[in-house]
Amino acid sequence: MKVLVCIGSSCHIKGSRAVVERLQELIAKENLQDQIELGGSFCMGKCQQGVCVTVDGEFFSVSPETVTSFFEKEMKARV
Amino acid sequence: MNDLTCDIGYKSINHAGEQLCGDHVEVVEQEDGSTVIVLADGLGSGVKASILSTLTSKIISTMLAAGLSIEECVETIAATLPVCSERGVAYSTFTIIRLIRNQTAELIQYDNPQVIILRNGDNWEYPRTETTIGGKQIFRSLIRLQEDDVFIAMSDGCPHAGIGIGYNFGWKREDIISFMEAMSLCGYTARNLSTLLVDECNKQYGGEPGDDATACVVRVRRRVPMNLLFGPPSNRDDGDRMMSLFFAKEGKHIICGGTTSSIAAKWLNKPLRPSLDFTGDIPPIAYLEGVDLVTEGVITVNRVVEYAKDYLSENKHYEDWSYGEDGASLISRLLFDEATDINFYVGKAINPAHQNPDLPINFNIKMNLVQELSDALKKMGKRIKVSYF
Repeated sequence: MKVLVCIGSSCHIKGSRAVVERLQELIAKENLQDQIELGGSFCMGKCQQGVCVTVDGEFFSVSPETVTSFFEKEMKARV
Repeated sequence: MNDLTCDIGYKSINHAGEQLCGDHVEVVEQEDGSTVIVLADGLGSGVKASILSTLTSKIISTMLAAGLSIEECVETIAATLPVCSERGVAYSTFTIIRLIRNQTAELIQYDNPQVIILRNGDNWEYPRTETTIGGKQIFRSLIRLQEDDVFIAMSDGCPHAGIGIGYNFGWKREDIISFMEAMSLCGYTARNLSTLLVDECNKQYGGEPGDDATACVVRVRRRVPMNLLFGPPSNRDDGDRMMSLFFAKEGKHIICGGTTSSIAAKWLNKPLRPSLDFTGDIPPIAYLEGVDLVTEGVITVNRVVEYAKDYLSENKHYEDWSYGEDGASLISRLLFDEATDINFYVGKAINPAHQNPDLPINFNIKMNLVQELSDALKKMGKRIKVSYF
């Protein structure tokens, strides 16, 4: 599974750093490093909905507050 | 003209308790490509010394730049400077470095510590001729410039550092030379070399300088061009034109901005690989084959502008950007340390996402950033060209 998090200006201000760090933490905790590839991406053109995240090309809007439930529902459940 | 250029930088610290500095450095560029630098040290410290040194350096630099002889300058100063009521003399020592078309340097020294010249990293005792003008003993030298020559002019506050604290007779010239020799070829800019020297003096004084201390450094170096691309073009059809002009230029290439780097990646037909290494609070950089540095846009450039302004004023953040690994530090090192000629390619496209009033970034800020950055870089003595698309 390939997960991309936008690190462009707008998403940066909306907390993409916190999202990336939380995801790295959760992936390590669940031991999913081999199944999930986490990467950065520049602007996805949907800044209004930031922080922009894609899971195998499917778009999601995530915030530092919702990142844990997003991980459970959209990432862990799909592996 | 050759392809050498002179990087000029200076820094002063004030006598403890004084708000004004009694030393003054004046740099004047002439139309024929020559530069006159005058470092003057006024008698005493505080307001009086400040007036004396400012007058001296302004008069000399203006007169020399207008083509008058040094004899006339010295006579004018002797006749014009106000006489000190306590000591009954009008007095300011000076060092003149005149760089002629980046080929020759003329040194004229009166009573300041002798200018140190480091050639290929070693001290060089250059020839000096003594003349007497108006009863003043003046030393003149003519030096043919070579790449990596470093000239260090000081006020006497530097060799006097540490008198009665760490040393009996202050920080000796030989010790200053060996201190500077170690750093002259490490790629430090003139401004940072002078800062390092003066900061060391301040340390020797125990943080309470007993005199104003100033160092002025001239570094002879080869011209290094650099190109920076910032923002997508306002008209989408100009993308290819902007890219081909940008990539055709000699020197390193820096790209700032997510959308901009995507356009460049498409043009180069290479994958853009953003990293996830967050260092500090600046967004991570990215990698793109054929481009030396790819960073995020406004936030990173905004930090570079802050570093540039600090560099020109107090220069207290130089350790942050000199060692940092984030995008802003990397750009700062390339632009401040390495480059001498910088071409900006600025796209004026408006990013609709940035027009959200909740975000601290908008189009005007972006244009201001370019303006402020190019102004600051010009003050650092760099040649700047800005093209808008």
